[in-house]
Amino acid sequence: MKHGSLAALVCLVLSVPANGDAPGVYAITNGVVHPVSGPEISGGVVVIRVGLIESVGAGVAIPADATTIDAKGGHVYPGLVDAQTSAGFASPAPRPRRGEATTTTTERRESAPAINPTPAFIALESLKLSDDDADDWRRIGVTTIVTAPTTDIFNGQSVVLNLGSGEPAGNAIRSPAAMQISFNPRRRSTFPDSLMGVIAYLRQTFLDAQQHSAALAVYQRNPAGLTRPESSRSLDALAPVMRRDLPIVFLADSEEMIRRAQAIAREFNLRYIISGARQGYRMAGDLRDVPVLVSVKWPAPPATKEDREEQPLRVIRDRQLAPTTPSVLAKSGVSFALVSGAGKAGDYFRGIRKAIDNGLSADEALRATTLVPARIFGVDRQLGTLERGKIANVIISDKPIFAKDAKVMRVLVDGREVRLAEKEEAETAAASPAEGTWNLTVRMPSGSVSIVVTLHVENGRVTGNFSGDRGSGDIRDGTFDDSTLEFTISVKSDAEAGDWTFHGTVRDSNITGNVTTNLGTFEFSGSKSR
Amino acid sequence: MKKIAALTLLIAVSAIAQEHVTVIRNATVLTITNGRIEHGSVVMRGSKIAAVGPDSSISVPAGAAVIDAAGKFVMPGIIDSHSHTAVEGAVNEGSLANTGMVRIADVMTAEEIAAYRQLAGGTTTALILHGSANSIGGQSQIAKWKWGKPVSEWPIKDAPRTIKFALGENPKSANFRPPEGVPRQYPATRMGVEEVIRTSFTDARDYLAKWDEYEAKQKRGEPAIPPRRDLLMETMADILRGRIDVHSHCYRSDEILMLLNVAHDMGFHIKTLQHVLEGYKVAKEIAAAGTGAGTFIDWWGFKAEAYDAIPYNIALMTRSGVLTSVNSDSAELARRLNQDAAKAMKYGGLTADEALKLCTINPAKELGIDTRVGSIEVGKDADVVIWTGDPLSTYSRVETTFIEGEIYFDRSRDLEQRQQLAREKADRLKKEAEETAREKKDTKGRKKNG
Repeated sequence: MKHGSLAALVCLVLSVPANGDAPGVYAITNGVVHPVSGPEISGGVVVIRVGLIESVGAGVAIPADATTIDAKGGHVYPGLVDAQTSAGFASPAPRPRRGEATTTTTERRESAPAINPTPAFIALESLKLSDDDADDWRRIGVTTIVTAPTTDIFNGQSVVLNLGSGEPAGNAIRSPAAMQISFNPRRRSTFPDSLMGVIAYLRQTFLDAQQHSAALAVYQRNPAGLTRPESSRSLDALAPVMRRDLPIVFLADSEEMIRRAQAIAREFNLRYIISGARQGYRMAGDLRDVPVLVSVKWPAPPATKEDREEQPLRVIRDRQLAPTTPSVLAKSGVSFALVSGAGKAGDYFRGIRKAIDNGLSADEALRATTLVPARIFGVDRQLGTLERGKIANVIISDKPIFAKDAKVMRVLVDGREVRLAEKEEAETAAASPAEGTWNLTVRMPSGSVSIVVTLHVENGRVTGNFSGDRGSGDIRDGTFDDSTLEFTISVKSDAEAGDWTFHGTVRDSNITGNVTTNLGTFEFSGSKSR
Repeated sequence: MKKIAALTLLIAVSAIAQEHVTVIRNATVLTITNGRIEHGSVVMRGSKIAAVGPDSSISVPAGAAVIDAAGKFVMPGIIDSHSHTAVEGAVNEGSLANTGMVRIADVMTAEEIAAYRQLAGGTTTALILHGSANSIGGQSQIAKWKWGKPVSEWPIKDAPRTIKFALGENPKSANFRPPEGVPRQYPATRMGVEEVIRTSFTDARDYLAKWDEYEAKQKRGEPAIPPRRDLLMETMADILRGRIDVHSHCYRSDEILMLLNVAHDMGFHIKTLQHVLEGYKVAKEIAAAGTGAGTFIDWWGFKAEAYDAIPYNIALMTRSGVLTSVNSDSAELARRLNQDAAKAMKYGGLTADEALKLCTINPAKELGIDTRVGSIEVGKDADVVIWTGDPLSTYSRVETTFIEGEIYFDRSRDLEQRQQLAREKADRLKKEAEETAREKKDTKGRKKNG
């Protein structure tokens, strides 16, 4: 991606301090300062000394030892906080294809990503974040992220991480930040492989954590004459969660999922945060007591007109109302942050702008990306505003930060300037051949069965949904590798109930293959909708 | 939009006004439990049926909404004893032979349009079951199709707790071809299915003994470590205590007898057999066990264990004293259970009254909710359906469906709404297309400038 010649493009409009990497003394002058903690200050000064903010104001004297950064015409903000990412954790590698018998199970396990999160998993200890990865965030003005894997159920303990240089340990603001939980069923035949199984699993695990603490307490009082309880890192790791010391972040997008998360939290009296919440617009009144991280990955319409027209109204309506969630929450007094959500950083600002187009004020958007997330994770004494004593995460943009063509000119993290490599104009990645809506026909003894699947491919992982003669729902365990597509759907009609696993070969806009069901294996074929 | 809002308001208002009264007059009322009343009236006050009888005997309370149902039929809402509608995600937790810890109640969704379509077929209540992938499946949920209400309001709160068992081909071949690296799941034979059920209950007795021991120690003031609270074992224990009703999927007569024996040996009761296509072969035994039967009327031959199915099954079981019902197992069939009930008159000669019971009071009894639903009687829930004609005729259709005195489906409103909804959809798609075009233009422009 990056070439030496591009590094030379790091010529900025503004003057470059002599030693950009030292946590020295800087005075940012002449810009419009947005401290977030108070009204904006035209021509304000921000003085930074050895990593911390020393002073902010209009008439602040510029120290003699300061390097001046002239922000004339620009805007100065605290660095943004993206409070839900999965940065530093690869999306799961496509799982091996059926019939790939040449590799042994052990070999496969070794080549698979090492992450197998449990409650005891510490994100800070395992995350791998390159400078290039961090630049994706810093380039748009994000200087702090909260990150954890999102692929399993208990995804371990997240970290509030500054995007400075050096090892993650030196950049951690708070670890553990929260216990990260997703309602992800596991692969077929591994408990729990259904949503209801996931909920039962969570309930049993929390009960086990309570019992574990109770058993240890009894044993410690009476160690003689009692069988010692088994030790468990996972259940030990849940003890602070059960005590409400560590909050849970539940990934939950729909109203029903949010209510399920709330029900579990109530059942076990847990402190929690909702992340995702794209149907939050429907239930603002019930979110007043819980911090919300609204993912701005807004649902997108299908690519073709035919597919859009085939969708039921309530799907279309929901897709269009989702981006009103931030403004609805703001009006209802809900404490919410705007987050990019698991995956890439690129669409974060487009998503925020869409929320602003749907009624959120730019000021509210700024608070939701600075002070509010800092508060939600208990780091608002260090981050989130431009105030004396806070960590010197400061960004300068040429226009108001959420303006459509605003560009981030300077980024300081912990008082050190970060030199941004100029990003190549991203080639529009060629869409994967599996991407799109497919009309499939399964040839069963009782006749042909029509199923429509809409697939989205990202890094070999396939997500999407299905509908047709055998009900509808999300697809699971989807993978795509060059030409081989595999995914599973759950069929409800009793005689054919169970998982149908499709395994097919994609050629141009056609697919052929087999589908394995409880009743046997049948051929299917299909083509992509135009 | 305005009309929709007004309609929603109307429904909301009627919900708030507890004492909202609706009177249906001049109808043929099929009470189910007290025969048919020509020129009859049904008075719904709040959520309950307040009066039922000939028009002449019923006075219309002041302020009541009156529906003239001349030439029309009124019957209680249909009850489906076997549904998988309104479940989010997989309907099977298929990973284990016994998944009694999972609960359908945790994953019900109000977004399932099939629920509304079933209202349009006069169905108001269902037993929503876990799938049949395991010998002992998850805990099921009895609920009403309160379309438009939050799903938390759908369950019948005081209905019995229930669980799904499954016998035969499905549990023994649920993981016939497991994914790479996952061993094939036990059981793989009918023998294994029986063993899973027996062992689950012996395990439950061990589990209860452990708790008894702990509690005894505590009583004596001795230090004791509390046992693990195991949600699966708690479920099994609650079945033994009679706190959870068992509804079991089955087909063949041999496995039916097997299950009745196992239940007898282990000390629990089988509330109903579901599908039970060979029930006619062992109807006396089913009746003697006090077990109900919910079956398909005329599905056969769709799998190996359905080859001996006959459409006379339900009539033969009924005549042998088995409490019988027609069930759907299908979001589609659940819209026309009245027609399946009618087929029992053709196949085996049940009377019209007996046929109607197959989809009303009988399933209500099977589910243990017959004090609330299943017939038009004073004091029962006002779950009432107005039909254009005799519901046992294929030419009749539903006009209005009430649940607890509120309208959840009304054909004329539905037809009116269709135009508005089509317009809203067109408007939204148009707006979206314009936005997309604008965004594309912007992106192109930026690329050129950048």
